[in-house]
Formats: sequence, C-alpha cells, structure tokens
Amino acid sequence: MKEKKSIWKTITGSREASLLIVLIILCVVISFRSPSFLTLKSISDMLKNNAVIMIMTLGMLGVLLIGGIDISVASTLAFSGMTVGMLLKYQKVENTFLLFLIAIGIGAACGLIIGLVIAKGKVLPIIATMGFMYIYRGMAYMIGNSQWASAENLGNFKNFALGKVLGINNVVLIMIICYIIFFVVMKWTKTGRKIYAVGSNREAASISGINTSNVELMVYTVMGTLAGLCGALAVAVYSSAQPNMLYGKEMDVIAACVIGGVSMTGGRGSVVGAFLGSLILAIIAKALPLVGIDAIAQNTVKGVIILVVVILNVITQRVMDKNNLKGREM
Amino acid sequence: MAGKSGRTIVNVPDKSWKKTLLCWESMLVVVFILINIFCASISSSYQFSSVLREMPKYLTEMFLLFPMAYILILGEIDISVGAIVCLSATMTCMASNKEWPFIVVVLVSLLVGTICGFVNGLILTKFTELPPMIVTLGTQIVFRGIAEISLGSGGSVSLSNTEGFRMIAGKVGTIPYILFVVAIFAVIFTVVLSKTTFGRSVYAIGSNSRAAYYSGIHVQRIRLIIYTAMGFMAGLAALFLTSVLYGANTTTGNGFEMDAIAMAVFGGISTAGGKGKLQGGIISGLIIICLRIGLGQINMNPQLILIILGALLILAVLLPNIGGEVKLKKKTAAAK
Repeated sequence: MKEKKSIWKTITGSREASLLIVLIILCVVISFRSPSFLTLKSISDMLKNNAVIMIMTLGMLGVLLIGGIDISVASTLAFSGMTVGMLLKYQKVENTFLLFLIAIGIGAACGLIIGLVIAKGKVLPIIATMGFMYIYRGMAYMIGNSQWASAENLGNFKNFALGKVLGINNVVLIMIICYIIFFVVMKWTKTGRKIYAVGSNREAASISGINTSNVELMVYTVMGTLAGLCGALAVAVYSSAQPNMLYGKEMDVIAACVIGGVSMTGGRGSVVGAFLGSLILAIIAKALPLVGIDAIAQNTVKGVIILVVVILNVITQRVMDKNNLKGREM
Repeated sequence: MAGKSGRTIVNVPDKSWKKTLLCWESMLVVVFILINIFCASISSSYQFSSVLREMPKYLTEMFLLFPMAYILILGEIDISVGAIVCLSATMTCMASNKEWPFIVVVLVSLLVGTICGFVNGLILTKFTELPPMIVTLGTQIVFRGIAEISLGSGGSVSLSNTEGFRMIAGKVGTIPYILFVVAIFAVIFTVVLSKTTFGRSVYAIGSNSRAAYYSGIHVQRIRLIIYTAMGFMAGLAALFLTSVLYGANTTTGNGFEMDAIAMAVFGGISTAGGKGKLQGGIISGLIIICLRIGLGQINMNPQLILIILGALLILAVLLPNIGGEVKLKKKTAAAK
C-alpha cells in the first residue's frame, strides 16, 4: 500500500513523468486516427525536421537555468547558415566537415560576444540579446548581399541530411549525441552543478567560490555554439540557405523549454524535461494535419497549448501547496 | 543634508544645473540634434517637410512606446503587441471591406486591441506566478494565429474601401494628423506617469511589488489597467498603420514589440523596473525615427540600419554600466 502511494506521488510530483504520460496519450490518440504515424520512417522524419529546434532547446535550457534568456538564437543560426550557404555558392569551401567547423566557430564567436556583454558588461540578457538579434540577422542579410543559396548551389553538402550511420539519420544522430553529452554534463559533472547553483541562488553560489560571471559567459557561448551548429544542420535539412531562416523560431525554442518544465526564473529544469517538451511540440505540429486540423490553425492551437500548460502548472502547484499545508495542520 | 536624527538623507533630488544638464534625457536631446545635423549633411533631401511627409509610417510605433514604458517600469514585458497590431489591423480591414460606417471600423479596431490587452492582463493578474514573458509569448502566437485563420489561405487582405482612412491620413498644412494624436497621447501618458498617484504607484510596484502591495496599492488592478491600455494603444496603432499600408497580412506588426522596447530602453527606462522617464523614451523614439528616415533617404541597406540600431541599443546600456564600474573602482581605490 505504501509503495503504491509513493509511485503515485512520483508520477504526480515529477514534471518529467507527467510529461511522459501526456506524450504517450498523444501518441496513442494520434495513431488511432492515423496508423501511419507510429512507423519508424515517420518518426525519423519528424525528428530530422525538428532536430534544429531540439538541439537549440538544450542551449536554451542552460541559459534559462541561470535565470537568463537568449532571443538571438534564430539570428545566430541564420548568420552561420548563410555563411555556409555563401561559401558553397561561390565554391570557396566544399568539404562538409570543414563547413560544419566554420559554422560552429561562427556560432561560438557570436555566443561569446553576447556572453561578454551580459556577464562582463552587466547588460540585462533580454536587452543584450534583443540588440544582437537585430545585428546578427542584419549580418545574415549582408553576408549574402540579400541573396540566397538554393539546392543546386549546395552540391554534396545537402546529402549530409540524407546519409545514415548505423541506420540512423546523420542529423538525428547529432541530436542524440548532443542530448547524451548534455545529460551527462548536467547530471554528473561539476560544470552542471555550477549552472544549477548559479541559477538557484546567485549570491550563495558566488560566496561558495563559484565564478558566476564565468558560468554565465560559458552558458551563452554554448548556446551560440549550438546555434551555429544548427545553422549548418538547417541548411542541410531544408537544402537551402536564406537570410530569413527560422525567423521568430527562438520563441518555439523557449516554448519547448517552458513546456518541459524549465523555470524562467532559473534553477529548475532538466535535460529530460527539455527533450520531452520539444518532442511534444514536434508531435503536435506533426499531428494536427493528421487529425484533420487545418494547417492554418496550427499556430493558434500551439499557442493555446503553451498557455494551457503553463496555467495548469500553476494550478497544480497551488493545489500541492494547499495539500502540504493541510498535511502540516493535521 | 543631515536629517533630525543625524542621518544623511540621500534621496532628496539634487536639482543643481549640473545634474539637470548631465542627466540622460538632456544627453538624448543633444544626440537628437546631432543626429538631425548628421542626417542633413549626408542627404540633401533631408528637410523639415520631407521628414514630416515620411513620418506617419514610423510614428505608429510611438503609440506602442507609451504603454510599453509603463510595463517596463513595472519590471515586466509584453511581447505580444506586434501580434495585437496584426490582429487588429486584419479585423479593421475586414470591417472596412464590409462597407460598415467608418466610426464602426474605428471602434472595431480599438475594441479588438483592447480585448487582446485585457486577456493578457486577466491571465497575468489571475495567475500572478506566471512570468509575463511566457504568457505574452503564448498569447502572441494565439493572436497572430487568429489573424492567420481570418486571413485565410491568401494570407493578406487589402483595403477596398479607403474613404475613411484617407481622411485620418490627412494633414493640417504640412503636419499630418497622426503627429497631433501622438503628441496628445504623449502628454497624457507623461503627465499620468510623473504627476499622479497612479504613476507613482507604477514606480512603487516596479521597485518592490510586495512593499507596494503592503502599503495599500492595488497592484493587480493597476497591472490589469496597464495591460489593457497596451492593447488599446496597439489597436490605435493598427488603425493608423492601416491608413498608411492600405492592407494587412500575416507579417504586419512583426518586430513592433522589439522596436517599442528598444526605444524605451534607449531612452533610459530600465527593464528591471522602477527606473526611467517617459520623456527619455519619447526623445529616443524621435531619434530612431529621424535616423531611419535619414539613412533611408540615402538608400542605405535596411539591414545595415538594423545592425546600427542593434549596436546603438547595446551601447546605450553598456556604456553607462562600464562608466559606473570605473567610477566605483576609483571610489574604492580612493577609500583605501
């Protein structure tokens, strides 16, 4: 009897478990309406198309954990993606591996600059990243002279998104590797602990010997690096490079984190939660047309779901607090 | 300035001429004059009349600046205003195309905006634990989504009945009507913020909302009013935007929220809350508008203008921070 109760408590108490249940219910309902949904190919396609958002969700998790925010990620992505596209278009660099390195380097540099402004210049994250959102998006347009690279310009590079290793699509594989690295770092290393410490109580962390501004700098640099990587991935997946790539998608990244239970005030959230959150968003986007909701209404439904999730979260928290109080009274 | 108890009173405002001359707002006036000289020197067509002619296009964002300043001073943020403008502009165009009388069209525009703002405010005041960033992120997607649904597969609507809109796009001499409307609202919002109890309460909530609550300020009622006002002004902005664009599409109002926030922050209003003056925001808004018109006249790449605006925004916050830190270091060195 006691054990049963504790299982029930872990399910209702843990954000990840309740997300998993939502995910399973979603999958069951959708596969009733459309049996083709739960096939390996359909899932692999879905993961491939959403890999970019899912990888950036990891970086955003780190940023949100220390109580910051980064709304420049989509612009950083466009800048690095356009650089890759232009290098291919004018046939400066053709080696896929080298192109990925360049994209990651650009992203890291972009993130480092943002980190310096925020950590050393003490500018509020929302203001700093808003400024850089303009700057990097502008640079994405400038670098290509407002032109774009289409599929025939990309040569061999676009085959990267079609290739497979061990039966898993390259893009999906990169995503899985990123998630494993982050899971290990966040859970079992000093660096991960430091990020949580800074996020839960900055002053306490600083007093206990953590260099908080270095942690901040690192988190934004990692975010930039991932955005840079995603720039190259996005070019490969969509086989085109446009300066307005993923315009406004930074909000999707933040939404995925929030659905996954990452707190906006810092200190709370997990890699598993971020994964489930972004997966739920991806499944909803994929499922709406399958269950017969017009493509045009998708955004509305997505927004309503985000609102409902955060409001439900508050209500359950209130009920839990009330129950805890009652328990104490007895 | 020692008080009765011998303690120094630090928050008596120092009104010496040096302080007034060196405050952020007067620096902005200097920047404003410099920008105008700069624009006039790079473009021969940058004249008073041409600036006035091009102004209505940019002035619509000023409507959003006023309530956004209030929200930022509260220490909060509203990123859904661009979407409210989009939805309201869409509904305005549709109402006008149905040949409804113009006064009804105006009402539709304002009402749609106000309702959207009220929804934001209602969610935020009923669930006070929620960060405004997340709520307005959600409503932003919903509002723009509703606009997308009503626009249908074409994704745009153009105005077929332009009669009333031509009227509000009119001019007195060379001065467009919209400038008067902006000026009236600028005065109203500035006076309310700096001279009334309501304005004082906004600052109080921004510096410490709990303390404000315990000192008897209706925190939630004030938040609800401000978010609703934000929606109303977004509806007004949509009305004037329609009179310039003669239509609406799914990308109408994209980035307006960021522009309004940028104007306010450049004007010295802190996003951490409790600090800043609306006057600064208004001057910096005019600076940004003049810069856009001037750089646009010499056919500068609009993307380069974006980069310049972004850099200005960051520098405006970064430089005082660095200056403050240097001062602090000097002080501690002197104390040692």
